[in-house]
Amino acid sequence: MKRSTLYSMLVAVVISTAPMLVAAAKVGQAAPDFTATASNGKTFRLSDNRGKYIVLEWHNNGCPYVGKHYKSGNMQRLQKQWTGQSVVWFTIISSAPGKQGYVTASEENEYLTKMQAAPTAALLDPTGEIGHLYDAKTSPQMIVINPQGIVIYDGAIDDKPTTDLSDISGATNYVNLALKQAMAGKQVEAPATRPYGCSVKYSDSSH
Amino acid sequence: MRGCESSRRFFPALAFLAALLLCAAGAQASGSPIPHGTLELIAENQWISIGHPFYLGLHFQLERGWHIYWVNPGDSGEPPRVTWQLPPGLSPGVIKWPAPRRLGTSSIVDFGYEDAVTLIVPVHAEISLAAQPLARLGAEIRVLVCSEMCIPAKTQLSLTLPIKSRRPAPDVRTRELFAAARKDLPRPAPQNWKFSADDAKDSFVLTANLGARITQATFFPLAEAQIDNAAPHILQPMPSGFRLTLRKSDRLLKPIARLKGVLVLSGNHAYLIDAPVSKLGAQKNNSSSGIPEIQSLREGPQK
Repeated sequence: MKRSTLYSMLVAVVISTAPMLVAAAKVGQAAPDFTATASNGKTFRLSDNRGKYIVLEWHNNGCPYVGKHYKSGNMQRLQKQWTGQSVVWFTIISSAPGKQGYVTASEENEYLTKMQAAPTAALLDPTGEIGHLYDAKTSPQMIVINPQGIVIYDGAIDDKPTTDLSDISGATNYVNLALKQAMAGKQVEAPATRPYGCSVKYSDSSH
Repeated sequence: MRGCESSRRFFPALAFLAALLLCAAGAQASGSPIPHGTLELIAENQWISIGHPFYLGLHFQLERGWHIYWVNPGDSGEPPRVTWQLPPGLSPGVIKWPAPRRLGTSSIVDFGYEDAVTLIVPVHAEISLAAQPLARLGAEIRVLVCSEMCIPAKTQLSLTLPIKSRRPAPDVRTRELFAAARKDLPRPAPQNWKFSADDAKDSFVLTANLGARITQATFFPLAEAQIDNAAPHILQPMPSGFRLTLRKSDRLLKPIARLKGVLVLSGNHAYLIDAPVSKLGAQKNNSSSGIPEIQSLREGPQK
């Protein structure tokens, strides 16, 4: 009896610390694999895209920082530019049901059409599993993975942490910088930055 | 102002009306609306005295559950930014940031202010300034107001004050707000306090020698992406201070030479600290005490 109590205590300890033990994505390390359902109904597995550059974009359609990059057409331009060069682009929505930015598959499909967005797919992550796996803090947080499956960039979309559309033209876009430098065989100059924006609306984000 | 709020909560009907009238009568020029709150540009003195520095203030009053951000906003958000429009001869300094609070959730932690806060700004008034009956002081403020979700706002505020050669005289209407703002400013740590930080692989261990055992301490890093904001800070009380283990941010890819921030001890006493960082095991004989100016601690361009 005593032994089983001890055992269950141990199990409880292991379970309660489990989230800390899961290795979140880190620059220079292997991108954790995941499988997700996209708004178009297809299933995507990250590791199926080995051999290609991959961009992960955290999205929340109610966030003014995301709005800055979609209303200006900046995000769509980046999506078209890079998917046109065989880069895989996943828009990821980690808002929990009832939280800002949560969408059903059909709502997301309508949004993609309306905004003329062009990611490879929009992945639905209502449990926040992928978000936590990558320790995504904000929308729009951006991650770039190289063809060997290593995270080569994690952070902000650019160096102007504001909601002003007028700041886009003068900004240094970190995703462009990382992709261009990596594709040219160079060291990525700014591999990690503070990912500005709105907090990701996980299920634990009640205030 | 806070008193007005609590009266509204506790007294119904008539008392509420009376309180409302009192509040209205007691209030200074009312603030301009911002999302879920108001913002007012205030001056500490009745007039600008030629050759005498003075303070302006941005007084934010927020609805319950809404907040704005500190100079380092933490994991998300953005600090308020001001563009001053002042007459020639008046030059604004930088915002004096009161110690913030930890806000957010278990996985995302921000630093900011709830309820009400006054951000004060020193202004230099040149000796060559000409006296005039009404000088207009303007400010364009960009501010992000958040609860769980965020609303950005841009507001234009202004204030008119005479410029005189007479000595400055405090404005009784704003005296309390400025006094409260100053009380919350982090102050230089006493000379005899010593701080040092060890770079211990995944963490920084901040050791404080304050001459007394400390059981409560919160550290707010001035630089972004040095500390993992959401990770618990592990405090170990010591006979002459404390040891605080701060997990490094995953985004910190290079070693840092100094750990700068605001330390809040029990009773909300806040101090500026600037600790040299040494590799664990390396000799550490250059510990330092607090330093006076918050802005000199902040890295990167200030806008």
